[in-house]
Amino acid sequence: MSLLEKYLYGWRRRSSRPSFDPDETHRVILTGFDDATATARARVGDSVLRVDGTTREHVDTVARVRVTEFDEGAAQGRAELLEVVGEPVY
Amino acid sequence: MSTDDTLEESPDLEGIEEDGDGPTVEFRGGKWMSAVPIVFFIVWAIVQSALFRVGDTTGLAAGMLIGLIIGMLFVRGDWADYANTIFEGMSQPVAVTAVVAWLWAGMFAATIQAGGFVEGLVWLADAVGVEGALFVGITFLLAGLLATGIGTGYGTTVAFVTLFFPAGGLLGANPTLLFGAILSGAVFGDNLAPVSDTTIISAVTQDADIGGVVASRFKYALIAAVPAFVLFVAAGSAMAGIDVAGDAREIFVGLAAVSKMLVFRIPTDAPVGDVSFLPVVETATEASEVGVGGSIYSGAAGFFAISILILLIIGGVWIMVRGGAFDALLEWVLESIATTVRRTELSMVGSVALINAAITINTAAEIAIAPYVARLGERFNVNAYRRANILDANTAALGYIFPWSGGVLVGFEAIRTQVLPEYEWFTAAMVVNPADVFPYVFHGWLLVAVFVIAAWTGFGREYTIDRVPDEVTTL
Repeated sequence: MSLLEKYLYGWRRRSSRPSFDPDETHRVILTGFDDATATARARVGDSVLRVDGTTREHVDTVARVRVTEFDEGAAQGRAELLEVVGEPVY
Repeated sequence: MSTDDTLEESPDLEGIEEDGDGPTVEFRGGKWMSAVPIVFFIVWAIVQSALFRVGDTTGLAAGMLIGLIIGMLFVRGDWADYANTIFEGMSQPVAVTAVVAWLWAGMFAATIQAGGFVEGLVWLADAVGVEGALFVGITFLLAGLLATGIGTGYGTTVAFVTLFFPAGGLLGANPTLLFGAILSGAVFGDNLAPVSDTTIISAVTQDADIGGVVASRFKYALIAAVPAFVLFVAAGSAMAGIDVAGDAREIFVGLAAVSKMLVFRIPTDAPVGDVSFLPVVETATEASEVGVGGSIYSGAAGFFAISILILLIIGGVWIMVRGGAFDALLEWVLESIATTVRRTELSMVGSVALINAAITINTAAEIAIAPYVARLGERFNVNAYRRANILDANTAALGYIFPWSGGVLVGFEAIRTQVLPEYEWFTAAMVVNPADVFPYVFHGWLLVAVFVIAAWTGFGREYTIDRVPDEVTTL
């Protein structure tokens, strides 16, 4: 991203419930754990992705995930873990 | 049962030296009682400044001292821990750095003032037809430019109050509005300057690069600054100035004569004999005249009282941190409000405001609240740039809005010690009380408003999925 693009980036409104398309890959913080599905989840704004292939130990890590499905109406979806890439700041 | 996306543990106050090594102080009545000294001081400051209309920095220091004594009476256990905690706070680099910045800025600004800068500025403004209202707007722009260039809002405040404030008075500008314009310029620079300590802290604590942080916050600063400029010009036309006749003369931007910078007034019976041929020595005819003077002396001396006050305030803040009231306050705010991303961002703005009300040096306030902003934002995958912007903009703004904040107090002190004694036409009645100026810090208020609206509407919001900040680099 050029310097000019950095200054022009973000001059728009962003939804509190961001949507995802299948096969997109993203880097997200895994923010909690859902015992019902036994998966960690990534809460992005008010949307939630449940990440298959994760355990409770993956909570509070930064992971690369691939989206497998997403329901825009419910702002809920699923993704699969590709790799753990780090930890959040705090 | 699920593990909720909540704050599971209280983050440490990272970034402040020795934060894990100090004593923990316990209080009768619980941890909230550790807020007694700082709350007492805030009440004292409001009563003294707003109700009694007394602008006396040493009076505020007396209030802080009494607050610290009252707090000590509630300590459970050894009073030595309480005292050591105050010493630990007073020795924090953020407090000492502010003191050094004030002393140097005061010294240089007074020396430039002694060189005739103000009179020259009045002449120049008169020559190009700039009068009171427009001068206020231009002062805001130039203060913002200087603060963005040098990265210190405090230094900018001292320099502009010493140099532009009297010039604006001579040109018919309203003093309260002019002070608000100077503080607004300081807010602009503290928020946007890549070399500003608050900018750097906001970037580093949120794990974002400084260049990217500055670029991403440009839009918020611009949206607030344009209407602020219009407001300053419009209000400048509507608000009456002071009626004085200026001694305008040709501009001379330079240093004062050596004798104006530093002079030793020695007694006639000094052992060195008559050395008055030296440019920095005068012979005092009366004993009361003996002493050291000049702009270097008076410029620095004018900030001694506020330097002591700030050290005492940080001591009081440290009691609140070590006593547990600080953590308890934040946990209560964050856990009871932050349930959606919109409410989370609004609570970030509110928490930063709350902490800046208590910790009056904005750098210290930012360091203290930064881990909470990071933790809270990460729960909703809010991007590091956005978190840094919410953190810094509101810190920069409110550090120059609250009447008891370091930014307002140092400007007030500069008016009292650098302007009042220097100009015959400037009377004590023209000194701007901190309680009067806060509504006129237009850029500060607009910047806070921009972030409240941005949090509510989602303007400028970024998630971690939108882009990854560059690697953090330091200047």
